[in-house]
Amino acid sequence: MSFKEYDKKTYLADTARAFANRKISKREFLKKAGLAGLGFSAFGAGMLGNQRVFRGDLSTSSAYAGQAEDLTKWLKDVGSKFKGQKIRYTSEATPPTVVLNQIKKEFTDPTGIEVEIEIVPLEQVLAKALQDVQGQLGSYDLYYLDQSWSATFANDVVDPIELYKSKKDLAMPGFDWDDFSKPLMNGLAMYNGKCTGIPFDIPIFITMYRQDILDKHGIKPPSTVDEFTAAVKAITAAEKGNGMYGTGLQAKSGHYSLECDWTQAIWNEGGSIFTKDKKFSGNDEAGIRGLKWYQEMLKNAPPQSTAANWDGQFEMMAAGQCALVTSWDEFFPGLDADDSKVKGLWQPLKPVTGKALRKVADAGFGEIPNYGHQGGSTLSLSKYAKNPDAAWIFMQWACSKEIMTRCTLTGGFAPMRLSSFADPRVKEKARVGAGTTRHLDVVKWTIDNAMASEPDMPLWAGFSTNELPIELGKLVTGQDYNGDAKKCMDNVAKLIDAKVKEAGL
Amino acid sequence: MVVQASNRQETRKLFALPRFLTAEHPFPWLLPATAMMVIFGIYPLAYAIWLSLHKRNVVTRANVFDPAYNWFKVLHDERVWNALGNTLLYTVIALTIQLVLGLLIALLLDSDRKGYSILRALMTLPLVVPPAVTAMMFLLMLDGSFGVLSRSLYALNLLSPAKPILANSSTALAGVLLADIWQWTPFMVLIMMAGLRSLPKEPFEAAAIDGATAIQAFFRLTLPLMSRVIAIAVLIRGIDLFRIFDYVKVMTDSGPGTATETLTSYSGRIYFTGEFTYASTIALLTLIIVIVVSTIFMKLFRVKL
Repeated sequence: MSFKEYDKKTYLADTARAFANRKISKREFLKKAGLAGLGFSAFGAGMLGNQRVFRGDLSTSSAYAGQAEDLTKWLKDVGSKFKGQKIRYTSEATPPTVVLNQIKKEFTDPTGIEVEIEIVPLEQVLAKALQDVQGQLGSYDLYYLDQSWSATFANDVVDPIELYKSKKDLAMPGFDWDDFSKPLMNGLAMYNGKCTGIPFDIPIFITMYRQDILDKHGIKPPSTVDEFTAAVKAITAAEKGNGMYGTGLQAKSGHYSLECDWTQAIWNEGGSIFTKDKKFSGNDEAGIRGLKWYQEMLKNAPPQSTAANWDGQFEMMAAGQCALVTSWDEFFPGLDADDSKVKGLWQPLKPVTGKALRKVADAGFGEIPNYGHQGGSTLSLSKYAKNPDAAWIFMQWACSKEIMTRCTLTGGFAPMRLSSFADPRVKEKARVGAGTTRHLDVVKWTIDNAMASEPDMPLWAGFSTNELPIELGKLVTGQDYNGDAKKCMDNVAKLIDAKVKEAGL
Repeated sequence: MVVQASNRQETRKLFALPRFLTAEHPFPWLLPATAMMVIFGIYPLAYAIWLSLHKRNVVTRANVFDPAYNWFKVLHDERVWNALGNTLLYTVIALTIQLVLGLLIALLLDSDRKGYSILRALMTLPLVVPPAVTAMMFLLMLDGSFGVLSRSLYALNLLSPAKPILANSSTALAGVLLADIWQWTPFMVLIMMAGLRSLPKEPFEAAAIDGATAIQAFFRLTLPLMSRVIAIAVLIRGIDLFRIFDYVKVMTDSGPGTATETLTSYSGRIYFTGEFTYASTIALLTLIIVIVVSTIFMKLFRVKL
């Protein structure tokens, strides 16, 4: 199957999904489906796809507030030299990308630089970036790089801090690198001492609970995994007859979301994915305990959890099918949206803590075990970019204080910059309503104190989307291993250790 | 005058195109089609073969010539055998149901009575829906919580809400098959209908005079006379089914586990993690199987395309 054919097919699926999720109108759906049906794949149909549903509020005036005069002046002075150039970047429908796509006119008007943003599902972002670097094609000037891929692409991107220092004529005044949250710089952008991009997006695990349900059963909000487990079981026992379960999971087999859930489960039990001698350790005692705990949670989750990724998990929360979840903070604005049937009912909590964490020094490949799994990303400048200077100016604009703060105001997602967290406009939106920021205090605490990171290794992009979620999927759906967590993890260890050895890592 | 004409002829001879480039020769006429085939058919195939003969290091991204590596790996990869099994199972079940249903519906619609032409036209509607949209429709209809098909199956006690059809490894393939059968049975109906309409009337008239029943006429006349048409339909649809990707990708993404993983979806998954050489090998294996099976089928059933 050709790449474009694949794009077309997933584009159609994503369009239909967006329609089903009421993110696009019937007219828009028919238009898109018609275009694809007429062989519009040449257009690069995937660019309109959308797997990660935007849960912010684009109607808010903050998205269209207009930018400061000094920023516009800088764009005119510096950017207009590159008038007529076109920069391209491909990204998942991550909240900042969606907002940037809406407000990019504020960049293109003063500079005359065209910006084409391809929004496609995460797996396609990876495939497109891999193809681009393999052939050193320069099809994309900028990459959206998930944290789990930073090692894979470290040699294909330009260090932005070095670039900022070396290209003084293009450096944005007052860009303020120190304003970026330190844990984010270290956890997302740094690989072997090199900065691979600018932190751009930080979905992170926090605990969320339905206050009304917990109050009804006299359960206090949990702070530990044990309390969480007890509360989940109690709610399932009491509410299952009403179609509500204690928790909801993103256990779709073969999907990265299952790997994310599993990772958090083993970290909570004091385990890690790799040991310091670079051996897979999901099959050690702590790893098995974590996986068994996850299997137990699945018994207390809606049955469709094994077919749900993060979107499915959000739907369970929004549909009132579960009461306690440790998952992505970026669900929150959607739960509080005006048309949500659970508006104001979910509350954010610091992620529940488990057993003593495994020390970073005892884990391998730069893995950081902790209670808040992060799925952040960076915006990175390709070494093979055709218009690197224009792309660099766009990158600085997109990650500037003002634009990042406005993205947060619109999307309600966690910002990368300390100044955005402290911005009075962001604070003012910390109330129930569309694009709420009322979860951001918990998010900031988690980033500063409990942020966990998956291993930094070139093979991780493959392990996290293939071997791990596939074998875990076989276990949790009963296709194989007969429910035996140890057997499953031993097989994963065999597969992963062989590949690590073969790659000479 | 004669000298001038002779000079012109000389000059024309001097600058004349070689014969194989003139309109009299087939070569210039074949050139565009040949070029298209080379660019879009032969080159990608040759490149895939080249890739399959190289071992790729995902870390260094170097492709090292090692002709046996990927092919050895394919033969010893349990997931390839599982995917091949799923692909064959899917192809056989879908093909059988679509063929039988297609023939039965075609027999029902093979009439010149009023209204039948509208029914025949309506039958083609599923074919114009893009497969990915069909898959999405069935994904929603089979959703464990609110899907109309799932709820109907629960009501009939054929399924349990505790085991949603697409989240259960023993039923997921059946869920995917539903979408395929809904969409492609009309294709079989159209082919069968064309075959039925082209059958000679005389044998049927003779059979009727001899007192043959409708069932006897069907088994003794219709089926034998339709055998070529059926063989071609099976071949075309079989090849298409063997390359199944859309429904699996959208509805289950090869899951639960690898319960619905087919050769193409496995190859796709591997490809998108950067293991291009191994993914190409699996794709080539699919191609080889299709060519071998189709050739045997064509020989056995004397199909000429």
